[in-house]
Amino acid sequence: MSGSIEVRGLSRAFRSTVRRPGFAGALRSLIDPERVTKYAVSDITFDVAPGELLALLGPNGAGKSTTIKILTGILTPTAGEARVAGVVPYQERERNARNIGAVFGQRTQLWWDLPVRESFAILRDIYEVPRAEHAARLREFDDLLELSAFWDTRVRHLSLGQRVRCDLAAALLHDPPVVFLDEPTIGMDVVVKEQVREFLRHQVEQRGRTVLLTTHDMTEVERLAERVVLVNHGRLVLDGTLDEIRRTYGSTWQVRVTLADAHAAVVPLPGIALLGRDGPRAVFGPDGSGAPTVHQALKAVIERYEVTDVAIDEADLEDVMRAAYVHAGPAVEEA
Amino acid sequence: MHAVRTAWRITRLNIRAQMEYRVEFLLNIAIGAIWQVSVIVFATVLLARFSGMGGWDSSEVLLIPATRMLAHGLFVLFLGRMHGIGRFVQEGKIDIYLVRPLPVHRQVQLEYFPTNAIGDLTVAAGLMAGALGRSHLDWTAGRVTYLVVCLIGGMLLEAALFTAVACASLRFPAAGYWGRWLEELLGTFGSYPLNVLPKAVGGLLTFGLPLAFVAYFPAAVLTGHGHDTGVPYWLAAASPLLGVLAYLAARLLWRWSLDHYTGVNG
Repeated sequence: MSGSIEVRGLSRAFRSTVRRPGFAGALRSLIDPERVTKYAVSDITFDVAPGELLALLGPNGAGKSTTIKILTGILTPTAGEARVAGVVPYQERERNARNIGAVFGQRTQLWWDLPVRESFAILRDIYEVPRAEHAARLREFDDLLELSAFWDTRVRHLSLGQRVRCDLAAALLHDPPVVFLDEPTIGMDVVVKEQVREFLRHQVEQRGRTVLLTTHDMTEVERLAERVVLVNHGRLVLDGTLDEIRRTYGSTWQVRVTLADAHAAVVPLPGIALLGRDGPRAVFGPDGSGAPTVHQALKAVIERYEVTDVAIDEADLEDVMRAAYVHAGPAVEEA
Repeated sequence: MHAVRTAWRITRLNIRAQMEYRVEFLLNIAIGAIWQVSVIVFATVLLARFSGMGGWDSSEVLLIPATRMLAHGLFVLFLGRMHGIGRFVQEGKIDIYLVRPLPVHRQVQLEYFPTNAIGDLTVAAGLMAGALGRSHLDWTAGRVTYLVVCLIGGMLLEAALFTAVACASLRFPAAGYWGRWLEELLGTFGSYPLNVLPKAVGGLLTFGLPLAFVAYFPAAVLTGHGHDTGVPYWLAAASPLLGVLAYLAARLLWRWSLDHYTGVNG
C-alpha cells in the first residue's frame, strides 16, 4: 500500500466571537456578538512521498495541528481535499485509521488504569493483528525503545518519557504505512529524545513508513528531516529542504579565512561577497538570494585562494526559523 | 462477533483494573446505591404512611420508581458514559477515539467500567422485587415480556436524552451541566404518578421532557391505569417504541455532531 500524503488547497475555517475589552464589552458581546470567521488553515498544498519524513513547522497557532487533525480524520476541511494512503480521511475515517498511526505528544491513547501490555493487547484486537505478528513487532519495539522495563506498569504510573515511548509503540503496532507525530518529544529529557529520534529514523529508513512530524525542537528537525513545510497564520510559507530554508531566511553565514599571502588580491566570487579585509584576514558572506550554502562557499573560497586558517559562523536553525516566522504574512480572517 | 469479543475483552480488563483498587471499587458501588437514597425513602414512606397516590394503590405506585430505577441502572451500565463527553473533549480523548478504527460511541462506552452501576442495579432490583412481591397483578408471560421491553425502552429513552446533551457537549463542554440537571429532574419526578402533579407540569414532563414514557406510562398500562394518563392509550402503550425511536434519532444527531466536531481548540 502506498503511504503517500496528498494535500490540495486545504482550508479549515472556525467561527468565533470577537472579544470586546472590559466588562461592558463582555456584556455587549453577550447581547450583540460580533462573529468572525478565522482560517486556521488556508489553501495549503503539499505532498509527502512514500517513505519520506516531512517536518511540518510553524509557530504556535500556525495551523500545524489543524492540518494533522484533518489528515487523521478528526476534522473535516472547509475547502480543498486530502488523501492519505489513497483514502480521504474525513470521508472514510475508520478505513483511514487502519492506515495511520498517530501520536499526540500531550495525550495518550493508552488505557490509563491498565498495564501498558494490556493496552497493546487491546489495540492488537482492535486492529485485528495476528498474535505472532504482534509479538514479533513488540520484540522489535522493545529492542529500540526498551519498553519491557516498564510495560507491566499501569499507564498512570509512567513517567512522561516512558509513556510517550509506549504511545509510539502503540501507534505502530498495526504496521501503518503513514505516521503522524504532533510534538512527540515535548517535555522529554535529551537521552529519551535521542532514543525516540533513533526509533523514528529506523521506522523511516528500515520500514519505509511515511512520517509527518510537527515539532518546535530544531535539533529534531536537523537530525530527522530533509524536507520541511513551513506554515504561518494558516498559510504555507515554504516547502523545501533545510538548505533552501537557510538560503531564504537564514543567509547569515560568514566564512573567515587567513590568507597565506597577506597582499593577495581578493575579489568577490559568484554569490559570495567580500565583507571585510584586514591584512591576511578576509571575511566572506552571502551575496543576494542566489547565494550558496556555507559549505559550498567554503569550498569555493578554499579552491580560489591559498589559506592557512578558516572559521565558519552560521546562524543555527532556530535563528533561521525565527526569521522565517517573523517574515510570514498576517492572519487570514474575514468578517 | 469480533466487535463483541473486543468490547468484552476491554470491559473485562476495565473491571479487573478497578477491582485492584479495592477501596475505590467498593466506594463506587456504595455511592451508586446511596445515590438512590431519595427513592428508597420515597418507597418507605409510601408503603408505611399512604395507601396510595393519585388513584393508584401503593403497590402499583411502587412499580413506577422500580421501573425507572432499573431502566436507569441498565442505562448507567450499558450506555451511561455519555455523561463524560465534555471532559473527554477537553482531555482530547475524542481526538484519540477518532483515529481508531472503531465507532467513537462504542469507545466512549468502553472508556471505563461504571462500578456505580452495580449499586444502582442492586437497589433497583431490590425495589423491583418488592414491587412485584406486593403487586396484586397476575404476572402473565405477556405482562412480564411487556415489562422487560419497557425497561429496555426506558433505558433507551434515558440514553437518548443524555446522548442529545452529549452532542451539545461535543461543541460546548459546559453543556454537561444540563446533564446533571436532567439527572436531577429524572430522579425527582420519575417516581410519581404524574397525574398528582399540576396539568402543566405533567404536560411538560410528557411532551417537553418525555419523562412520563420512561416508567409512568408503562406502569399505568401494566396496572390498568392506561386510560387515565391524559394521553391516548396507544401512545402510553407504545412507550418502549418511543424509546427506540428517540434513541435512533439521538444516534443520528450524534453522528451529525461528530461530523461537525471542531476539537478542543475549535
